[in-house]
Amino acid sequence: MDRDEIRVAVLRIEGTNCEDETVKAFREFGVFCESVHLKQFYSDMIRDKEQRTFTDYNCLVFPGGFSAGDYVRAGAIFSARLKSVLQNDLEDFIKQGYPILGICNGFQVLVELGALPGFDEDRPIAEKPEMVLGINDSNRFECRPSLLKHENRGKCIFTRKLEKDVVMFPVAHAEGKVIFPKGKEKEYIDGLVQNDQIVFRYVDTKGSYAGYPWNPNGSTYNIAGICNITGNVLGLMPHPERAFWYPNTDGRAVIESALDYLGRI
Amino acid sequence: MLYKRADTPFELYEINVLDANDEDLVKISQELGLALNIEEMKKIKEHFASKGRNPYDIELQSIAQAWSEHCCYKSSKCYLKQLLFDVDAEYVISAIKEDAGVVEFDDEYAYVVAFESHNHPSAIEPYGGAATGIGGILRDILCMGAQPVALIDPLFFGRPDSEDIPKGTKHPLYLLSGVVSGIRDYGNRVGIPTVAGMLFFHDGYLTNCIVNVGCVGIARKDRIIRSKAGGAGDLFILAGGATGRDGIHGVTFASAELEEESEEKSRSAVQLGNPIIKEPLIHACLEVVEKGLLTGMKDLGGGGLSCVIGEMSLAAGCGAEVWLEKVPLKEEGMAPWEIWISESQERMMLTVKPKDVDEVLYIFQKWDVPAVVVGRVTDDRILRIYYHNYKIYEMDIDFVVSAVEYCRPYVIKHAEVVDAVSKPADIEKTLLEMLSHYNVASREWIIRQYDHEVRASTVVKPLQGRINREGHGDAAVIRPANSWKGIAVTADVNPWMTSMDPYWGTASAFDEMVRNLVAVNSVPHSFADCLNFGNPEKQERMGEFVESVKALGWMARGFGLPCVSGNVSFYNETPHMSVPPTPTLMGIGIVENVRDAITADFKRKGSGIVLVGETSKEFGGSLYCAVTGMKSTVVPETSPEKLSEYTKAMLEAFREFKVYSCHDVAEGGLAVAIAEMCVASGMGCSIDVEGEAYITLFSESNTRWIMEVREVEEVVRFFTKKGLKASHIGYTGGKSFDVEGVLSVAVEELDEAWRDGLTRFTGW
Repeated sequence: MDRDEIRVAVLRIEGTNCEDETVKAFREFGVFCESVHLKQFYSDMIRDKEQRTFTDYNCLVFPGGFSAGDYVRAGAIFSARLKSVLQNDLEDFIKQGYPILGICNGFQVLVELGALPGFDEDRPIAEKPEMVLGINDSNRFECRPSLLKHENRGKCIFTRKLEKDVVMFPVAHAEGKVIFPKGKEKEYIDGLVQNDQIVFRYVDTKGSYAGYPWNPNGSTYNIAGICNITGNVLGLMPHPERAFWYPNTDGRAVIESALDYLGRI
Repeated sequence: MLYKRADTPFELYEINVLDANDEDLVKISQELGLALNIEEMKKIKEHFASKGRNPYDIELQSIAQAWSEHCCYKSSKCYLKQLLFDVDAEYVISAIKEDAGVVEFDDEYAYVVAFESHNHPSAIEPYGGAATGIGGILRDILCMGAQPVALIDPLFFGRPDSEDIPKGTKHPLYLLSGVVSGIRDYGNRVGIPTVAGMLFFHDGYLTNCIVNVGCVGIARKDRIIRSKAGGAGDLFILAGGATGRDGIHGVTFASAELEEESEEKSRSAVQLGNPIIKEPLIHACLEVVEKGLLTGMKDLGGGGLSCVIGEMSLAAGCGAEVWLEKVPLKEEGMAPWEIWISESQERMMLTVKPKDVDEVLYIFQKWDVPAVVVGRVTDDRILRIYYHNYKIYEMDIDFVVSAVEYCRPYVIKHAEVVDAVSKPADIEKTLLEMLSHYNVASREWIIRQYDHEVRASTVVKPLQGRINREGHGDAAVIRPANSWKGIAVTADVNPWMTSMDPYWGTASAFDEMVRNLVAVNSVPHSFADCLNFGNPEKQERMGEFVESVKALGWMARGFGLPCVSGNVSFYNETPHMSVPPTPTLMGIGIVENVRDAITADFKRKGSGIVLVGETSKEFGGSLYCAVTGMKSTVVPETSPEKLSEYTKAMLEAFREFKVYSCHDVAEGGLAVAIAEMCVASGMGCSIDVEGEAYITLFSESNTRWIMEVREVEEVVRFFTKKGLKASHIGYTGGKSFDVEGVLSVAVEELDEAWRDGLTRFTGW
């Protein structure tokens, strides 16, 4: 499809707060991108001209922030609202191979929703969450730069145009520690590696897997970002849209890759 | 009988001021929590005598809000007008008069600045107090129609190692951790980056911590909204959170000294914040602004509805009619006066033309933010309130809002001059102690808890240098619009200096603010002040205030920097002590191209180090004295003309030559400044100093910078030719900080001392 046919929605509810910069980043590449309140997909009070459906778009983004305050558990309320009214639409969207990106709180939403790790091609949204983004080992919110080794072998449609081995995207979160079900960690990691679902892992300046502060949250296997089995859903804790303008522009490749992929379908 | 229940189906009292004698009047003020003095009470009695009736409780409470120090600046206005508010610049769109200052940014945009204190609430309930401080300052920016883009938070506490804590006071570390958590949880949730601030510990803040919050916003010039009602016939729409009993008497509480029992008595004066109402409130307000649907907007802060409707109407030369039962409440059974003065958070007042009301209400509903019509603007200058069809309030707005003003008497204290500073016993040990001093050491523990990158526009971050082991910068730089033009922001004051000499201490704070802006290659453009002082009824405190404002006016005028917004906080005093004079300054600079901004970490081996500026023996309020225990009252002096000349030369040098890094010389003098540049980069340097080494290394003379440059001889010549002082003092490189024949310390050792200085108290 041509660039001017691409339509991107950045989804928000109260408390998502990285939508402005995310929209700006997509628009930088000349595509249509708007932030859309979740209510616009289902609420009766919304006027006709502001009503939307997922079929209006070919790329969805769950931005960073603190959706609904994250008071229950990060991403829990946003995903519960999605699940209750839009689960089928979202599954269709994923099955059709359209890209979905979840950044920080958006990653938390996708995990709570069961869309990641997303092992089952036929049921892209699992019945219940299969992993958790838990509280950082430091037990507090931390904003810092993070170095990420790109380990995807080609499945993830968001990193195909990424040329560097190691990129810098900043992190800013209190709940970003990847945790798999107890006792099944190895099984999950092996599965992710085999399926080529690992996308980014935290490393130090030498490019080696390292502990705190390089792994800012204590994440299992130093995981910073993973994609689903079909490679069209990516969730990551670090913020590529914050490494976009100056001085660091590493994050551009993530959006460029997704648009390039859309250009080929 | 002083109080008589009115014949209404709800709680309303008539207050018998007409028959009250002086003693009764004082009693009324105390019993109703009005915090008005006898003269003010008499003025009220006189007014109602002329009307031939007694006031209702809601009317008296309303006057008390409007006449509180917090709302009307009655003790400070007269000196501020005389001494500070006469600096103008053609690019200032609106200064002082509104909730925030508005200054031209470029052809299309203006930046908006506000700066406030949240001291009393934070001393009682640090988490909620600081969080609502952030909430309040965001509303000040928002009500001008601007998108907030950066938060700044200077904090002041008692020493972290304090042991004897007076009854009713909380430990400084408890307060620090509560305040930082409050700013973190609120600021991060609303998605506005906290990019700058400062932290200072001093005994004088033990019983009164100081929490200042600043905010910068950006607005399209043609979309700026004024804090006044549009015109007669417009409707008042109250948007945001519901109104409850939290925050009743917040302003009158902030306008008196804290007492031992304040903890129990005043908790209800602290409001509760909710960032997840605020975040959509910001979006909804900006959407109605963008669509041009408003005629006026103002936030509800101190004094609640009472102040906002009064001030908006007065500013428009109008009156108002309010239907109080329309206000959504958090709880049942609130008396009308409580609804009227409650300071519940997350509320905005809009005025809208009747034809636009439906559209505005739809937009708020879309964002799930409650909004209701609560009144209308009238063409007389009278405010009337109805509650379930009973008229319970009718007063001339001019009488209520125009209030009272005092030019309070003051005395200026002159201290005896002492200058007993000499060489340190062990210079290397002294340097390490300075770096690990709690007023200098790394603030990483705080900075990392704040999201300083959200909005993806923070170009020069508060932490600069090698990844995950950065150092402090002089100012943060953000890129608020789509162009490469940026805004630099910094906050400064050194209470060691201001407590010793309010005049030169304040002048030094101004100098430091300008230095920090210049160091990142920004042109100083405007500033805001938050003046935190003790009880103004005490002549010595008032003297400190006047000296400080005098110095500020002198520097601002001479340098040509307009003061565009500010706040005065008095009564930061308890029976134990008063805070040191704390005129916190927030400086705003313009960076023509953010890609030319300069950071403070050394960049490359073998480049030349240049010290710009003049050093003399000035140790009053210095870090050197704090660490060695030596005495000096010689607070560094400065002059606006000299500061201006150096500023111009520095900015020109940045254009002419390759400058890799730049840092201002402040606490701890040259030695600490260079050590910080080493720590941020992990790179050492070796320098040579002239004259008495400890003076050159540790004196805190103003108007000085260190630059790391490529063409060192040319740079020195450039300054010398202008009649300014600059000297080539050494080169970067190596693993240690060497001063020829004086000291040599490994960068690792400096780093350890500096990184550990605060976290040894807070934990990491």
